[in-house]
Amino acid sequence: MAVIEIEGLAKSYRVYQKQEGLLASIRGLFRRRYRTVEAVCGIDMTVERGEFVAFLGPNGAGKTTTLKLLSGVINPTSGTARVLGHIPWKRENAYRRRFALVMGQKNQLWWDLPANESFRLHQEIYRIERGRFERTRDELTSMLEVRHLLGQPVRELSLGERMKMELIAALLHSPEVLFLDEPTIGLDVRAQYTIQNFLRYYQQERRVTILLTSHYMKDVSVLCRRVVIINSGRIVYDGSLNGIIDRFSGHKVISLQFTDGRVPGSLGGLGEVLSPEPPRAKLRVPRGRVTEVLTHLLAQHHVEDISVEDPPLEEVIARMFARCEERPTECELGHVPELLGEE
Amino acid sequence: MRAASAWGHGLPGGREASAGDVAETMVASLRIWFVALRISVEERLVYRADFALSTLMRFLPIVTQIFLWWAVFEGIQTVGGGRETIRGYSYNDFIAYYLLTMLSRAFSSMPGLASGITRDIRDGTVKKYLIQPVDMLSFLLAYRVAHKLVYYAVAAGPFALVFFLCRGYFPGWPDPPVLAAYVASLVMAFLLGFFLEATIGMIGFWFLEVRSLLFVYMLFNFFLSGHMFPLDMLPGMWGDVVGALPLQYLAYFPTAVFLGKVSGADLAGGVCIQLAWVVFFITTARVAMARGLRRYSGYGG
Amino acid sequence: MTAVPERPDYLRVFLTFARNSLVREMIFRGNFIIDTISSMAWVLINLAFYTLIFRYTPMLGADTGWGKYQFFLFLATTLIVNSLVRGLFMENADEFGELIRTGNLDFVLLKPMDTQFLVSLNRIEWSALGNLVLGLLLLFYALGKVDYRPGPVQVVLYPLYIGCGVAILYSLMITLAASSVWLVRNQSLFNFWFYITNFSRYPMEIYRGDFGTPLRLFFTFIVPVLVVVNVPARLLVRPLAPQSVEDAVLPLFALVAAAGSLAASRWVFNRALVSYRSASS
Repeated sequence: MAVIEIEGLAKSYRVYQKQEGLLASIRGLFRRRYRTVEAVCGIDMTVERGEFVAFLGPNGAGKTTTLKLLSGVINPTSGTARVLGHIPWKRENAYRRRFALVMGQKNQLWWDLPANESFRLHQEIYRIERGRFERTRDELTSMLEVRHLLGQPVRELSLGERMKMELIAALLHSPEVLFLDEPTIGLDVRAQYTIQNFLRYYQQERRVTILLTSHYMKDVSVLCRRVVIINSGRIVYDGSLNGIIDRFSGHKVISLQFTDGRVPGSLGGLGEVLSPEPPRAKLRVPRGRVTEVLTHLLAQHHVEDISVEDPPLEEVIARMFARCEERPTECELGHVPELLGEE
Repeated sequence: MRAASAWGHGLPGGREASAGDVAETMVASLRIWFVALRISVEERLVYRADFALSTLMRFLPIVTQIFLWWAVFEGIQTVGGGRETIRGYSYNDFIAYYLLTMLSRAFSSMPGLASGITRDIRDGTVKKYLIQPVDMLSFLLAYRVAHKLVYYAVAAGPFALVFFLCRGYFPGWPDPPVLAAYVASLVMAFLLGFFLEATIGMIGFWFLEVRSLLFVYMLFNFFLSGHMFPLDMLPGMWGDVVGALPLQYLAYFPTAVFLGKVSGADLAGGVCIQLAWVVFFITTARVAMARGLRRYSGYGG
Repeated sequence: MTAVPERPDYLRVFLTFARNSLVREMIFRGNFIIDTISSMAWVLINLAFYTLIFRYTPMLGADTGWGKYQFFLFLATTLIVNSLVRGLFMENADEFGELIRTGNLDFVLLKPMDTQFLVSLNRIEWSALGNLVLGLLLLFYALGKVDYRPGPVQVVLYPLYIGCGVAILYSLMITLAASSVWLVRNQSLFNFWFYITNFSRYPMEIYRGDFGTPLRLFFTFIVPVLVVVNVPARLLVRPLAPQSVEDAVLPLFALVAAAGSLAASRWVFNRALVSYRSASS
């Protein structure tokens, strides 16, 4: 059953352009200049119950806007969306009780009070029955290892601990759909790891539907089977994580270790030498030429060890985004493979 | 060498201060001043709606004062048997008084000065005055002057309009010498306001929580500077106490000068006392700053 | 699993707000005490000013009935209304602009409750209690000094009209705060609020004459701030028998004004939400 159905969803808004300089700001008194920003321009997608979907895209691609549209916090310019059968921007209480939005860069807990006080407030707002509230809270705080911090003012918590509390606050009412906007941003590796593990476990246990945006590929690769890549407000890719490499990278990386302890100088003629650290070296080779290069290497050199890998996902995506920024119009779905093949 | 060491105190590498350095410092401070001016103009202009509203709204309380004092004088006349002044102030004098104190306050009020200084001390921004060749008080004064000039440039219109509309309440222009004394007392009100509040801000070097102190000062300032009513209304002992405080020179004194409530020897004496207070607070602010900064650097920030 | 109750429980949420605010005030006890004392000091200074005025005149205006202690009753009413508005709504209205600027209004919009309720009562400023107590003390002190004794009808109506006054001022305040969606920065908002309510601080009889009468009518019937204190205060100082048409109409009008302002503020608030939601990123 489809939990989220989005059709042609678009959102543009006007922003005031502040003019630099004295004269310009005087002029600004009388006439203000606006520019229209197309944050999201026509998104279609469907998400089934229990899916864990990652939204990837460079800054300003429209990820957060999409999540806010689905949360009903902002109104779309056009298009439709249904989440759990509700139109989000109608903001019906019945809908708002069933989902949660967590934003890694903002906090909603009372800054000066212990997190527990904010939790109690949520209990009242969502009318969570006392026993159930306490059970959920205790379970979540133990899983995220912050149970002992419940009584500590939020401002005294570390960023990681605060984020965990934010997450708990959002989960107290057992939402069926969860929107996570950069939940691990700025956290140290340990806290990231705990949150990833928690999310994976929680999602499998409760069968909730989760949409996640993140800059950390680790989050995505650990958690999500399905990845949606957005750029300039459009969906560029929608599929499995591995599919990204197949689709967007025309290269493979060959790792070599030479017997005689030296890296032959002629290696450059076969492909791009990535990191020569004698006796090891890495070679970036177009996919179609892999067999040819391998044959050549084995015939001409004394190779002790050899392996062929896909390039790291981060790199593929970073290259793709860089491309998109240079030539955004070519970044529509159909154009991408050619674009990347030409390198 | 002796002469040189007398000159060269504090300058790194024993360099002596030459005429060139002085000129450089002057150019530098002039530049600072222009930057300060530009920033405050831009600040004000960017938020147009706010800006227009706040200048206009400032005059609204005058309207209630006009009606309040009208009612007060009406009340007096019903029973007082023809008494038409309160301590020498007629109804018109009262309105003129309020309008003029608004002008005095435009010179002497220093919003955010003391709290800004204490904040800079708390968050360590004062360190820059230890490192850079900028004198804290001079910089703040330059910034304040710039800020005030911009404010006057903008507020002159509304002020002129309101004073013109209310011209009937004024007794007319005072004699040139009195007018000169008035202008002098306004300028001194600005300096007094600045250095008095800067002194209070410097207390932040010694105590971290100055908020309550600032509030007490604000309260006394509002009540005892004469912003609320002509200080002549205070009975007996209260009048004497308030007369001995510097606060009255922030609002009451210039206004009383303009309205001719102080004249002759009293006028000359008042101006002198005001000047004495200005000098006093320049000194205290300087001393407090020097000691405070020394204490601050002693602690290592 | 039992069915989740759909209707939010506003009273319990309000009590939680009040409790959390109190816990917070107690964490910053120093500030709390300073706030309480300083706002009380402010009141005392005003009281001193009016005492001074009544040293020179027996009455405000000719034959209006507002003598020193009658005016103190008026002042007490002002204090009570203002401290309620400050305690319940002031900080929240201030915070509203901040929520819009920072985009944190998003979190409020997510909650399955009325957004205006959540925004308006999020924080209770307990330090306003000092002024409320001061207002009540002044009320009883001044009642002891005047000859007129209000009857049971007035005693019942007084709190009702205090409520109307609070509703009117609240509506004005939240309307102004909501306007920060369009004005972006709203530093002067509370100056504006202060200046407007400045008119409500004196008996409406003092606004007379060619200029005063239109002013009185404007601040009675268009922006009804004069109704806020005048209507309840009059209940305490004079018999119910109305002396003019305006006198008779006013108490009825106050009820209409309170309901009308609430409705208007809600309309503006919702418009502001729509603007926020189509402007934010």
